Amino acid sequence: MRKKGWTMRRKEGIYGYIFIMPFIVGFIGFTAGPLLFSLAGSFTDYNITSQMEFIGVENYQSLIVEDGLFRTSLWNTLYYVALSVPLTTLGAIFLSALLNQDVPGIRYFRTLYYLPAILSGVGVYLLWMQLLEPGTGMVNLILSWVGIDGPNWLFDPDWTKPSLILMKLWSVGGSMLLYLASMQGVSKSLYEAAEIDGASRWKQFIHITIPMITPVIFFDVVTSLIGGFQIFQEAYIMSGNGEGGPANSLLFYNLYMWNQAFESFDMGYAMAMSWILFVIVFILTIINLKLAPRWVHYEGEEK
Amino acid sequence: MKNSFKVIVLFLCSILILSGCAGFQTSNSDEGNTNEDGKTVVDFWSFWGSELRRPIIDKIVADFNASQDEIEVKHTYSPWGDIWTKELAAIAAGNPPDVVINDINATAIRGQENQAMNLSEFYDDSFSEKFYPELWNATLYEGDSYGIPFNTDTRVLYYNKDAFEEVGLDPEDPPETWEELEEYAAKLDVKNGESYDRLGFYPLWGVGYDVWLLNANGENYFGADNNVDTVNVNTETNVEVLNWLKSWRDRIGEDVVNSYQAQIDSQQGNPFFSGDLAMLVQQPTFYTQIRDYAEDLNFGVAQLPEYEPGNGHTSWGGGFVAEIPEGSSDPEAAWAFIEYLTGPEAQEYWAVQNFDNVANIEAAEAAAQSDEFTEEGQMVYQMAVDSMENTLLTPAPVEAPGFYNYINPKVDEFFLGSLTAEEALAQAQADVEALIESNQ
Repeated sequence: MRKKGWTMRRKEGIYGYIFIMPFIVGFIGFTAGPLLFSLAGSFTDYNITSQMEFIGVENYQSLIVEDGLFRTSLWNTLYYVALSVPLTTLGAIFLSALLNQDVPGIRYFRTLYYLPAILSGVGVYLLWMQLLEPGTGMVNLILSWVGIDGPNWLFDPDWTKPSLILMKLWSVGGSMLLYLASMQGVSKSLYEAAEIDGASRWKQFIHITIPMITPVIFFDVVTSLIGGFQIFQEAYIMSGNGEGGPANSLLFYNLYMWNQAFESFDMGYAMAMSWILFVIVFILTIINLKLAPRWVHYEGEEK
Repeated sequence: MKNSFKVIVLFLCSILILSGCAGFQTSNSDEGNTNEDGKTVVDFWSFWGSELRRPIIDKIVADFNASQDEIEVKHTYSPWGDIWTKELAAIAAGNPPDVVINDINATAIRGQENQAMNLSEFYDDSFSEKFYPELWNATLYEGDSYGIPFNTDTRVLYYNKDAFEEVGLDPEDPPETWEELEEYAAKLDVKNGESYDRLGFYPLWGVGYDVWLLNANGENYFGADNNVDTVNVNTETNVEVLNWLKSWRDRIGEDVVNSYQAQIDSQQGNPFFSGDLAMLVQQPTFYTQIRDYAEDLNFGVAQLPEYEPGNGHTSWGGGFVAEIPEGSSDPEAAWAFIEYLTGPEAQEYWAVQNFDNVANIEAAEAAAQSDEFTEEGQMVYQMAVDSMENTLLTPAPVEAPGFYNYINPKVDEFFLGSLTAEEALAQAQADVEALIESNQ
């Protein structure tokens, strides 16, 4: 055994690598590998079973220049992201502010509002399809009590995406929990000092609570932005036949990609789509990160 | 720097070694092909896992296993949403199942893409005569079959005989043409202010607009043998049919249509069961719901009415095939099972137990006479068999996979009122032509 080169530090380093080996193997095998494969595949006419020939940038070219459905799907997705991200963020902050009050029975309210977040998947979508039924659904029934003639929700192309956003708002419990935890962490002394100075509750909220939870807001915006671009299941289930109807109003990016890959078996094309989406999300995230120092406040950070 | 580089190299090597230990199997291993009794194992995938269907298909598999001692079929259930993506992944990995139930309408495309095996080496010229020609033709790519038809369906008109009698129509004389359909429907309507106590008929419950187009044209959008040199989406007839369909909606009113639709979707509350709807187009299996939820209903069945007298009672159907994925380890044994599965005995059993249309003509005709059906059951099944003669499939041409994704949205816009029928069909025609061009 040569002592040289096997210092304690080195050994520990190697042990470290051995311990994270399962992750590294998984990462290379199941994430990085397929990622690179799809990049390579996006320049081919890969159809999974019989062909994989290099066709240059033809996939990208026809996507951007010719494909009308690609544009529709991108527009639908951008529309959904642009509305759902701000609305769910505001909704979650609002809800957690309410649930941060000291009133009797607050634990039950917290549980109640968090519940939708643990329900997930197809069951919830089917439930909402019933709630949003134009003639017999509960949403329109309640609207009719206050004299509003409810829209056709999932049957009217102008209302399908708002329907999904409404459903998302119902399940903001997950991010609400993050905000609530972060609000609980805000030092009481700040509020006490503000109260002595005569600040109103609203001013306290704007000038103390919001700045103190900006790191969580930032986290929530970045993750829900990325999540928003990946919307698939909702459209697959709630558009009835999985085609993105009515009038393609629920044809989201990932749904169209899925159809290309597994219905038309044009996997190369779908791979090219996934890389375009990757670039879009990447750019938006970079912009987010660049903008962050202007509004995100980290405690203990030098100004 | 240098040291850390060494560590990384060492580490990458160890990954290789480790992954070697795991032994990724990409090639067909011969183990697992035969079981301990020395029988060849055929791996069979279907999506029939419901309480109703699973025992039936399991019985067919058990019967086959008992009928000979060379082959042991192992049935694996995979949910509807997963089965074909799983199959595709298994084919790409080189270790697919041996027999899979798949959608008949894309069989030619799967043949072209080398997903399903060319079965022509297994069958002789007379084999195809056992099946409805329309079904058999849907499985062909360049003249060879890539999947053997298993089951199918059709669309027939159910009507309420008591309601017919009540308004003075002959209950044994269902509507023969679209004109009669409209006339009878108007007679059967019982209006009550803005809503209806009984609605005669609405064409878009149970089927889509495309079934009516098919009925009027007697053919799909494409040319003979599904060639794509002609694309007949934007035709005068189609414009007329779409406007005809919309006229129903305009006459009955959006709200009535929606509230009836919601009841139809809820199955048990189907207005046809309660007599609130006098006529409805549905699949023959709809009878099992009438049997279970509305046994006292006095109903009849008829073929779809004709667009014009003599035009033909064309109906629409789909179905499933049994195929051998490319790369199956023992295609001969797989074929032996498919032959049994699509043979008269298994097909009749399936037909009777499921009340389902089957592809084998002999089995379908035998099932219609089955003692296990009630008189009503026999009547519906016989109508289903008769309707099969006029039933067309709409398989996707290999140049136009998923063509309906390009037509449906435009027709949606027509029904929503943002496009006229001419505009919608012209745009759909252009989109389908562009799709074909990009695949040629």
